[in-house]
Amino acid sequence: MKRKLAAAIVIAGMMVSVSACGGDDGDDKNAGPDSFKGQTLTVWAMDGSTPDQWVKDVTAAFEKKTGAKLKFETQKWDGIQQKITTALSESNPPDVLEVGNTQTPAYAATGGLADLSDLKKEIGADWTPSVSQSSVYDGKQYAAPWYFTNRVVIYNKKIWAKAGIKDTPKTRDEFFKDLETIGKKTDAEPIYLPGQNWYFFDGLTIGQGADLVKKEGDKYVSNLGDPKVAKAMEIYKKYASYSKAPKDKDEATPQQAEVFAKGNTGAFIGMGWEAGTAVAANKAIEKDLGYFTIPGETPDKPEGVFLGGSNLAVAQGSEKQALAKEFLKIALSDQYEGQLAKLNGVIPNKKSLESNLKGNAVAEAAVPGSAVGGTTPLIPEWGAVENNPNPIKSYMTAVLNGKSPADAAKQVEDEINKRLAQQN
Amino acid sequence: MSVQTEGTDTAGEPAVRKARVPAPPRGDGRSPGAPSRRHAAAPYLLLLPALLATAVLLGWPLVKNGMLSFQNLNPRQLIQHLTEWNGVDNYQEVLSGDDFWRVVGRSVVFTAANVVLIMVLGTLVGLLLARLGKKMRLLLMVGLVLAWAMPVIAATTVYQWLFAQRFGVVNWVLDKLGWHSMADHNWLQTQFSTFAVVTLLIVWQSIPFVAINLYAATTTIPKELYEAASLDGAGAWKGFTSVTLPFLRPFLYATTFLEVIWVFKSFAQIFAMNQGGPDHLTETLPIYAYVEGVGNQHFGVGAAISFLTILVLLAITSYYLRMVLKQEEDEL
Repeated sequence: MKRKLAAAIVIAGMMVSVSACGGDDGDDKNAGPDSFKGQTLTVWAMDGSTPDQWVKDVTAAFEKKTGAKLKFETQKWDGIQQKITTALSESNPPDVLEVGNTQTPAYAATGGLADLSDLKKEIGADWTPSVSQSSVYDGKQYAAPWYFTNRVVIYNKKIWAKAGIKDTPKTRDEFFKDLETIGKKTDAEPIYLPGQNWYFFDGLTIGQGADLVKKEGDKYVSNLGDPKVAKAMEIYKKYASYSKAPKDKDEATPQQAEVFAKGNTGAFIGMGWEAGTAVAANKAIEKDLGYFTIPGETPDKPEGVFLGGSNLAVAQGSEKQALAKEFLKIALSDQYEGQLAKLNGVIPNKKSLESNLKGNAVAEAAVPGSAVGGTTPLIPEWGAVENNPNPIKSYMTAVLNGKSPADAAKQVEDEINKRLAQQN
Repeated sequence: MSVQTEGTDTAGEPAVRKARVPAPPRGDGRSPGAPSRRHAAAPYLLLLPALLATAVLLGWPLVKNGMLSFQNLNPRQLIQHLTEWNGVDNYQEVLSGDDFWRVVGRSVVFTAANVVLIMVLGTLVGLLLARLGKKMRLLLMVGLVLAWAMPVIAATTVYQWLFAQRFGVVNWVLDKLGWHSMADHNWLQTQFSTFAVVTLLIVWQSIPFVAINLYAATTTIPKELYEAASLDGAGAWKGFTSVTLPFLRPFLYATTFLEVIWVFKSFAQIFAMNQGGPDHLTETLPIYAYVEGVGNQHFGVGAAISFLTILVLLAITSYYLRMVLKQEEDEL
């Protein structure tokens, strides 16, 4: 009988190795001013955010001023929300974190980020309000705006010349006509646009003046059923009709810049740094690269874009909050904020620093768009919607596969509402 | 029977080995003279390391997981270390939705299809191994071992590339063979097609284990039995059903049981292939638990789902468990 029991236990154990997750305790923090010497400040930055030269200069300045060491750790965007949540829950979290602007409210609501309102008073008087807004929650500043950027059209000059197109398009219809010409006159794919480039879609909804969520009573629900959203999706569908890209993949699988780098694609819609990805994959493409602002309905107003941005936040659980603020003061100073803008071609957190972008072809194409840009809804509930599998991506694929926008919206609304209703 | 336990001992399944450990040598402790206390304790001492490892590596996480499943645990609670007990709310939420039951049904069908394919094809390959000449057998063995030794994620990545829509070899070959509509075929577009690719991957990965062990089992069958059978006028089929099969039966039961467990809880292959998509349609129970728990950062609900997953798996394998327990009882 004992053997029977042992066997049962062991066999049960064998099946148990299915899953488990953990949470632990341990809480204490305090800002120790003055003697920063001997301490090390850990900064989590996202892939591509921190150019080498900038890291070098900021580290030197930081170490000179505080006597403490600075350690940058690069993170990947994929799965970042889960990773940051886990990191913030630990007793020794990274001290400073780069947090995506649309994800900031959700983290602010978890209580994992330190209140930086006093820092804002000190150095943030002229932060661009529309950019700073994403880090305000419940009237408090939970992060400092760092930089933002938006998508542009990156095109292959050689292919456009082969199709006999002289100038870059100024309106959406001109753009469509150009794509059509490329399709007819060359054997290149006019544009590479996978079905789930959802930040581009978000830009189109902003261009239509539509919101992805609406308030019903005191809670937010999906607004995908709005005809304006449907209109944005129709525009997306038209763009996608010039592409053979998979309808159920986003721009990262495969990396659209790498597809473009093969030299047989007329254009793609991407971030400025993706040009670098293309060049890294194929050096020969560099001389053919061109950029222009995504054209809108009329020449005077470019297409709406999603303002992807990043904020710098300090972990509430960090024991070095004072030191972390010293770091923020240096990193966000005019000198280094300007340098970052210059090196990365990203739009800085102050209007006065935009002069750093002169001569940067990508940034010059991006700036006009940023004026009419927007973000995803800046509510804490939004973060959950972006989790994989993202229902908005499902919506897009469904429409591209022939469903009517209204039906497709109905199909994913429950899922979106469920996620919006999740309690924190 | 001893053969298959050797082979079972893969990295992910430490518990399987332990399954054998508890069987103490029969007729022990009957040393000449008075049965000393030390001898009586020996089997238990030998058991201790295995049980300890099981308790630490499986038991403790299981208890933790059980506790989580009765909590409302989201990012806020996790980050601030709040413990909010919410009774059976998580279970209620999961069991009252139709999502869960749909996923259970899907998991069962998926497991059944895979296990049947694995057992049939694996057995055939195993019998082939027994018939082959030395050199060919070695060649086939090497091929099987290589397929088996391939890490799961690496294998999944290779299959993703094989079946990639634009640059995949499969579509390229089909196109070259004249099937031009397949040039840009999206294998992961529908539920059935995604499952088909995943099934191909899992079956491919699992056949070696079944085949090699079955081959090993056939080597234990005395040749004389076949001679005797043929003297009695048995043909190849009769020989197979009345000599080979009875010998292999306990082995087939055990392997099927293991394959059910492994296929049921396979995660990496399905998740890495298409994240449970399109539209959640290829989510099996482990994926569902992950997407709801870790993905949506709804850790309490995820824990509840994973607990229910264990119960479902226990129910599926209960037939075999009963058989094993009964057998042990008979032996005692």
